[in-house]
Amino acid sequence: MTHPSEIQLALLAGGDLALWERWRVRRHVAHCGQCEGTLEALRMSSNQVRELAAELPKDLNWNRLAEEMTGNIRVGLAAGQAIASFDKPPAVRRPRLAWNAGTVLACASILFAFAFWANIPRPQAEHLVQALKRIAAHGIGNFAQPGLRQEDVILEASTSGIEVKENGRALSLMHPHSDGATVTVNMQGSAGVRFIDADTGQVTTNKVYYAEQ
Amino acid sequence: MPSSKLVLAGSVLFASSLAAGVLPKIDLPKDSPVAVLSADYKDSNETARGGAMLLDLHAALSLRNSSQRRIRGITLLVTAQDVTPGGRGSVTVTSLDVGPDETFPVRIDLRLLRPLQASLTVPVQIGLDGVLFGDLSFYGPDKLSSRRTMTLSEYEARRDRKYFKSLLAEGGPERLRQEMLASLTHQEDRPGMDVQVVKGARATNFEPEKQVQFAFLRLPDAPIEPVDGMARIAGNEARAPRVEVRNRSDRAIKYLELGWILQDRGGREFLAGSVPAELNLAPGQNSQILENTTLKFPQPRGAQPLAIDSMTGFISSVEYADGTVWIPSRADLGTPQLQRVVAPSDEEQRLAQIYRKKGLAALVAELNRF
Repeated sequence: MTHPSEIQLALLAGGDLALWERWRVRRHVAHCGQCEGTLEALRMSSNQVRELAAELPKDLNWNRLAEEMTGNIRVGLAAGQAIASFDKPPAVRRPRLAWNAGTVLACASILFAFAFWANIPRPQAEHLVQALKRIAAHGIGNFAQPGLRQEDVILEASTSGIEVKENGRALSLMHPHSDGATVTVNMQGSAGVRFIDADTGQVTTNKVYYAEQ
Repeated sequence: MPSSKLVLAGSVLFASSLAAGVLPKIDLPKDSPVAVLSADYKDSNETARGGAMLLDLHAALSLRNSSQRRIRGITLLVTAQDVTPGGRGSVTVTSLDVGPDETFPVRIDLRLLRPLQASLTVPVQIGLDGVLFGDLSFYGPDKLSSRRTMTLSEYEARRDRKYFKSLLAEGGPERLRQEMLASLTHQEDRPGMDVQVVKGARATNFEPEKQVQFAFLRLPDAPIEPVDGMARIAGNEARAPRVEVRNRSDRAIKYLELGWILQDRGGREFLAGSVPAELNLAPGQNSQILENTTLKFPQPRGAQPLAIDSMTGFISSVEYADGTVWIPSRADLGTPQLQRVVAPSDEEQRLAQIYRKKGLAALVAELNRF
């Protein structure tokens, strides 16, 4: 006995087999337990696919999907051709064409840069220029970590206290019993807080400095 | 109390929770005009915080004037060489009036954050940077320019005492009361701003940087005239001020300070700091002040980030070559822009506090004392 092929059984399960073929395969399946089991399995799979399809968005654009799939296939074919031609000797390049392509690319870049510059707001433009300058001055590695270098000594003054910080260590001068704290800063390198000691009534000024001062 | 009894009472007390090895070392010169009578470290402690040790030190020093002159101010130098070798601190007490053999307190409240593996040697040293006497003479190594700082404060104190005494003489206690109330209101209303100081001229934020010209507030009696100036501004940062000044007095000048007022885009004004300059400026001569420092104003809690828009400069103090100083007069400080942002002097703040806590009679008694 010749069994129908799996493709014929699949087409029968999906209801896509031609009329004569459908009658012939059905007749065989009626007497063949093996093919009946295969057909049943294919029908179940077909039902599951239908259920999944029912869950797809209603507004799915099948034409667009088909175009994307076609596009992907073309990309695949092009990639295959590229791989196939990998071992072939390189084609003789035409310098004039490369030069023209370069010119077109340069012109497009200039046009893009001009359009970009003309359309972004002024603060962002200045910001961009500053960022490029910083890249030129310090390199991209340093630019990725803006702010203070770890080895910097930082003086901080607030109405709650003053602090000199260095490499994660800190010396703070506080004024827990005070009135009327005033922050003072000297550009030569000191920061301070002046206050009235609530217990003694004395005017006290705590300051932090750079050590070289 | 006789001085011998004070010396006997000068035992050093320290809290049991603090190891003796982390107590500060107080080191005064042998010929120091002040002596330490006692040092109380009550409530001090050291606790582990993550991978670091936090030393919370509260020192109440009792000092005695062992000289024959009256003390007007003192500056103590605080260093923690193993913890912050690049920085140091100081505690200055001004507007004092301490006679020979009299005692006075100085409080030092400090916090030290150091790694667990840091050395166990004494982390904090306290030394003397200088003492200013009533005759404006000075004693001390003056590593922190405390002579100038305390002399300027003493000049301001004398100016303000004279002013308040004149009010008392002309208008009686009621006139003095009105002025004190105005002073307290001014202190409350004056805008304050936290600040970071970083050496170096590199901007540290992403805001576009721009060069901004100084506007100058010209005080008629100032011996220095600011001619031109600019600084670089980027968002909440101001850095690298450059100011050209001219000596318009007939005396040589060796030091000046320019007060620096910043205004943000919302129109708020505040005193950012002072730009000092050590120079040797002959009469009629011009000079340029350059500072390679950045001021950064962190965003206050619950407030909009600061965006500096413009700035104003004014001459806030001058020291002549002979050591005498010039400070703005009370009339200069009455200029609306200065009145809004400049803090009252140490002495005015002290007198206002006496009025607030002890009343008008105590203030009048204090003004009549010297």
